[in-house]
Amino acid sequence: MSDPILSLRDLKLGFKTYEGLVEVLHGISLRIGRGEKVALVGESGSGKSVTARIILGLLQELKAARISGAIHFDGADLEKLSRRERQALRGTRMSMIFQDPTSSLNPVFPIHVQFHEVLRRMDRNLTQKQGMQRAISLLTDVSIPEPERVLQAYAFQLSGGMNQRVMIAMALANEPSLLIADEPGTALDVTVQAQTLHLMRDLVVRKGTSVLFISHNLGVVREFADRVYVIYKGRIVEHGPTDTLFSKPLHPYTKALMAAVPRITGGGIPDIAENSEAFLDPMIDHEVEVPA
Amino acid sequence: MSPVVQLLAKRLSISVIVLIGVSMLIFAIARIIPGDPARIALGPNATAEQVVQLRDKLHLDDSIIVQYANFVSDFARGDLGISLYTNRPVTTDIAQFLPATLELVFVAGLFMIGFGIPLGILSARHRGKAADNVVRVLSLLGVSAPSFVWAVILMLLFAFFLPIFPIAGQISDTLTVPPRMTGFLLFDCLLAGDLRAFADAAHHIVLPAFALSLSGIGQAARLTRANMIETYDKPYIEMARSYGFPEQRIARRYAFRPSLIPSLTIIGLDFAAMLGNAFLVEAVYAWPGLSRYGVQVILRKDLNAIVGTVLVISATFLVVNIIVDLLIAFINPRIRYAERSRP
Repeated sequence: MSDPILSLRDLKLGFKTYEGLVEVLHGISLRIGRGEKVALVGESGSGKSVTARIILGLLQELKAARISGAIHFDGADLEKLSRRERQALRGTRMSMIFQDPTSSLNPVFPIHVQFHEVLRRMDRNLTQKQGMQRAISLLTDVSIPEPERVLQAYAFQLSGGMNQRVMIAMALANEPSLLIADEPGTALDVTVQAQTLHLMRDLVVRKGTSVLFISHNLGVVREFADRVYVIYKGRIVEHGPTDTLFSKPLHPYTKALMAAVPRITGGGIPDIAENSEAFLDPMIDHEVEVPA
Repeated sequence: MSPVVQLLAKRLSISVIVLIGVSMLIFAIARIIPGDPARIALGPNATAEQVVQLRDKLHLDDSIIVQYANFVSDFARGDLGISLYTNRPVTTDIAQFLPATLELVFVAGLFMIGFGIPLGILSARHRGKAADNVVRVLSLLGVSAPSFVWAVILMLLFAFFLPIFPIAGQISDTLTVPPRMTGFLLFDCLLAGDLRAFADAAHHIVLPAFALSLSGIGQAARLTRANMIETYDKPYIEMARSYGFPEQRIARRYAFRPSLIPSLTIIGLDFAAMLGNAFLVEAVYAWPGLSRYGVQVILRKDLNAIVGTVLVISATFLVVNIIVDLLIAFINPRIRYAERSRP
């Protein structure tokens, strides 16, 4: 296997509080190959989003955060980088898509200003005109009709789906090697979410971008990801190729998570235990036990 | 019509209605309070006949509606009547005293914006640290004491115990005052090219303007801090960080502008409050503004002068508010576009 674009080894995160250290991540190991789309699935509070923010180097800025373990991005040890060097990676070689596109775009600047700012991360001397042209072609890539008009607009004037396309175009504008999508489009309609996800998948496949896809939505994950990590209470409980994991879930928590999805064919809201000792069973790795 | 022009037109027409309302109210109130203006003006030694004569001259025995109609028709000709206190046209009096007050309030407004907003930003960026705590205590102090108290305290501290600033007045007696052109002394000094007089006048205005602006500074700092902290929690700030924009730039550009919108509204209101507070600060610093005139005419029940003074202050208040509204529309696209989309 070629060297991965991202690898986390035994990543631990704690927060210093008045009552001592509260551990949130208890040693997470995860790897994303080049061009691979990997999903991190779990319920809210399981540690998905903090993992993303550690990879981006955002949590390191928090004084109360205690982070240990190894994070390698494109061969470099992130923990050995300075604040400035980590910041230089963001928006250029890694970028992120957020849950709610409309509130993630700044309300007082039109789209083109924000686009320009993003493009300038790669090219400090980018002129207004060049930026505009790049932005137009990027918006065309995400199937936005009349990109010139959209660029002049403010986020509050556009629909959620339109903003989501803008976000995707922005996130991929500088051709990052890693895209982190933190529950993308959860705030959108299911249909719009599906459209924009398709679009995103096509684009990352075409550009060969690696993706860390964070979600609690198993249906979406199955469509999108090559491999899946299931996270529960700050631990990876099961990991494997998407097909294997979905056809043969082994860990009790994964089974419960899958049972929790309401079926369109009826059967009511599934009744699952809120907590179970079995959920904390040791990790099951399909790649070790079921070699491909 | 461009949305800004539309907004301006709307605010102006509302202002006219407000001014009409204010004029009716103050016209009535000035006449309802007890005391005979003619008797007060003529003094205790005047005969009853003289009083009747003056009442007649002033049309005080007409019905209040007729009086108001007369006032409106005079006002339309730019005539606010004669002051019984100075025996001059009220417009002349106001033209003489208003500029000094406006100058004081304007400088105080600059202090409020120039100190209040940066302190709020500083406080928000160093939330929970020493700088934040110092700013918070100071701004609370500024907000909690009225400006005439600050006027006295500052005068004692920085003009009496530590004579850094002149104790009172608008300019030193030893200097020849430059010819009156605009009535705004600082401006007149500059127009006359008299830098020494300008420096002296500027030296004089610091303490009263600072005393007047302290509660505004505190208010602006507290609000800016609260808004900045709230803005920092918004997803678009996290997005800006995730794109690696420098923290400085995020603060200056991405967090500051949305945070400024609520602060500006309050700053506009504070500006108006300062117009009222200026009366007391002017009294403390013997500032030759509208206050002495205003207090005198109210005590003497000088009807024309009361109505004129109140109207001018209301008009100033309205103008400041229109400016603030336009600024907010400029900063906040949502308002700009909301105006446009209305039928």
